Amino acid sequence: MASVSVEAVRKRYGALEVIHGIDIKIPDGEFVVLVGPSGCGKSTLLRMIAGLEEISGGVVRIGDKVVNEVPSKDRDIAMVFQNYALYPHMTVRENMGFSLKLRKAERGVIAERVKKASQILGLDPYLERYPKQLSGGQRQRVAMGRAIVRNPQVFLFDEPLSNLDAKLRVQMRTEIKALHQQLKTTSIYVTHDQIEAMTMADRIVVMHDGIVEQIGSPLELYEQPANLFVAGFIGSPAINLIHGKLRRDGTRNWVATDAGVDLPLDGNAAGQDGQPVVYGIRPEHLAPSDSSGLPVTVSVVEPTGASTFVYADLSGAQICGVFAEHHGIHPGNRMNFMPRLDRVHLFDAGTGKRLAG
Amino acid sequence: MVSLAQDVASSHRSGRMSAEATWGLIMLLPYIAIFLTFVLYPVGYGIWLGTDIKAYHRIFDDPIFLRTLANTVIFLGLAVNIKLLLALLLSGFFVHERRWIRWLSFIFILPWAIPSIPTILSFRWMLNAEWGMINSLIFQFTFQDGPGWLLNRVYGLGSIITIHIWKYLPFWTLILVAARLTISKDLYESADVDGASGLQKFLYITFPGVRNMYITSTLLSTIWTLGDFNSIYLLTGGGPADSTQVLATLGIRYAFGMSEVRAGVATIIVALPFMVPIVVLMVKRLRGEDR
Repeated sequence: MASVSVEAVRKRYGALEVIHGIDIKIPDGEFVVLVGPSGCGKSTLLRMIAGLEEISGGVVRIGDKVVNEVPSKDRDIAMVFQNYALYPHMTVRENMGFSLKLRKAERGVIAERVKKASQILGLDPYLERYPKQLSGGQRQRVAMGRAIVRNPQVFLFDEPLSNLDAKLRVQMRTEIKALHQQLKTTSIYVTHDQIEAMTMADRIVVMHDGIVEQIGSPLELYEQPANLFVAGFIGSPAINLIHGKLRRDGTRNWVATDAGVDLPLDGNAAGQDGQPVVYGIRPEHLAPSDSSGLPVTVSVVEPTGASTFVYADLSGAQICGVFAEHHGIHPGNRMNFMPRLDRVHLFDAGTGKRLAG
Repeated sequence: MVSLAQDVASSHRSGRMSAEATWGLIMLLPYIAIFLTFVLYPVGYGIWLGTDIKAYHRIFDDPIFLRTLANTVIFLGLAVNIKLLLALLLSGFFVHERRWIRWLSFIFILPWAIPSIPTILSFRWMLNAEWGMINSLIFQFTFQDGPGWLLNRVYGLGSIITIHIWKYLPFWTLILVAARLTISKDLYESADVDGASGLQKFLYITFPGVRNMYITSTLLSTIWTLGDFNSIYLLTGGGPADSTQVLATLGIRYAFGMSEVRAGVATIIVALPFMVPIVVLMVKRLRGEDR
C-alpha cells in the first residue's frame, strides 16, 4: 500500500489544455472518489495516474516515487475498467491469474491467490467459466478479483458500476466499500454519480472543467460547499438557489429577491448590506408551514413513499422541498416553506464562492 | 415457408389450393426457374460431363498430370499461408488510426482493386529474362545476368506465388484489420496494467480475437486460390513445357487448347474430394455452428 500524490498535474492535447494544474494528496489506505460531470477530466486524471495517458505537466507520485516516466506495469497498480475489460478467451481463473502469470509467479502462489480472491468475492462456482457466460454483476466481480489477486499498492476504478442496473449498482457499491474496509488498499474511484461518491468515499474530489472545485469528506461537501458548483452538484434533489441582495438593518439579516420576497437568515450571516448573493437551501431543510416562511404555490407533488418531493413556485422561482410526511399537499395549494436558518448557504453572486458564516 | 407448406398440405386434403398458397407459388416461380436454369443445369451438366471414366484415364496417363497436381498443392499451400500470415502482420500496422496510414491504405489496396490482365501482363514484361526491367536492373548493378524468372519450374512457381500474394494480400489485410478492430481497446490497456509485453498482447489478446476470422479466411482463400487462373495463365501460361500448370490452367488447356472438354472437366473434378469438405466446413463456420 502507498500514498498517492498529484502535484500541479496538467494534461494537454496539442494546444488544448483539459486539466489545468491539479493538486491532490491521498494518504495511504484512503478511498478517494473523483466526481464531476462528464468532460470534467476525472477519467483523464485517473488514466494519468494509471500510466495510460502521458502527463503533460506536474508530478504524480506513488509512495515516494515519481512515476511520470514509469510504465503502467511497473507502477504496481490495478485498474478496474468501466467495461470490465475481461480477456474473452480466458476463463475466470485464467483472467484472475493472468497478471501474476505475466510476472512469472509460481503456479502454487497463483492458485492460492486466485482461490483467496474468489472466496472473498463469491466467485468459486464460476472459476472455469468464460466471461460471456457470466452476468454483468459477476463480470464486475471478476474484474475486482483480477485487481485484488495482484495485491497492488493502489486500486484505480474507472466508473466500474455504470454498466450495471440500479439495484445491482447499490449492492456492488456496498461490496466495494466492504472490500476496501477489509483490504485497506489505497483506492481512487472515478464516477459521475454523486450518490456513489457520497456513500463510498472517505474523501471526495469534486472536479469541473479540468480544475478541482473542492476536496473534502462527504459531509463537509454537503454541509460546507465551497462554491455554487459544489452546492449544486452534491445532494439530490438539487439545492434550491435563489438570487437576491443581502440586507441587514442592525437587528436582523435577510436576502431580498428581485421579486420582492424576503428570505430569512440567522444573525451571524457574513457579507455586506446590498451585496448581490445567492441564497441556497437544500430541499430537505425546508419544512411545511401554514403561517411563517416563504409563501409558495405548489405545482407538482412526487410521493416516493419514504418522502415526498414538493415542487412549488416562489414568486416566479422554482423551489423544491422534501418532507418526510405527505401532509396532504396537492398541486395548487398555497402554503409556506420554512427554511432551517442554520442550514442556509450564502454565496457571492459574482464569484460563486461561499460567504463564510 | 412453414405456413405455406401447411397451407399446401391442408389444401391437398380439401382438394384445391388456397388463394394465398397459389400466389405464393406464382411468386416463387421466377426464382425456381432461374435456379434450375443457371445453377442446377450447369452444375449437373458439368458433373455429367465428368462421369466419363475414359476422361480420367486420359488425364492420369498424361505425364504432366502428377506434376500439375503437385504444383497445385505447392501453390495452394505456400500462397494461401504466406499471404495470410503477411496479412495478419500488416493488419497490425494498418489498424492504427493515423491519417497518413489511412491514405497509405488507399494506395495499398490498388493491386487488388485494378483488373488482373494489365497488371499481371506488365509483371510478365518486367520479369522477362532478357530485356525485362528487373533483370536490366540486376545487370546494371551487378554486371551479371539475372535468372530466367519465367523460364524454369522453381522460378516460375516462385514468381506466380509472389504475384498472387501481391494481388490478393491487400484484401485479406483489410479483412484482418476489420477483425482486429472488433477487439476492445480496454483489453490492451488492461494488459498494459497487468504487465504484458507486445508479443504477449498479440498471443493472449490479438490472436485469440482474430483466430476465427483467420481460419475462415484461410478456408475461403484456399477455395478462391484453387480457382485463381489469372496469376498462372497471364504470367507463365503454364509453361515452360507445362512445368507450372495447376489444375485450373490444365483444365482450360484440355478443354479449349486441345478441345477435350470431358478431360478438362475431369481435371477440376479431381479436386472436389478435397474442396467439398472445405466448403462444408466453411458454410458451417459462417453459420456459427463451429464455434
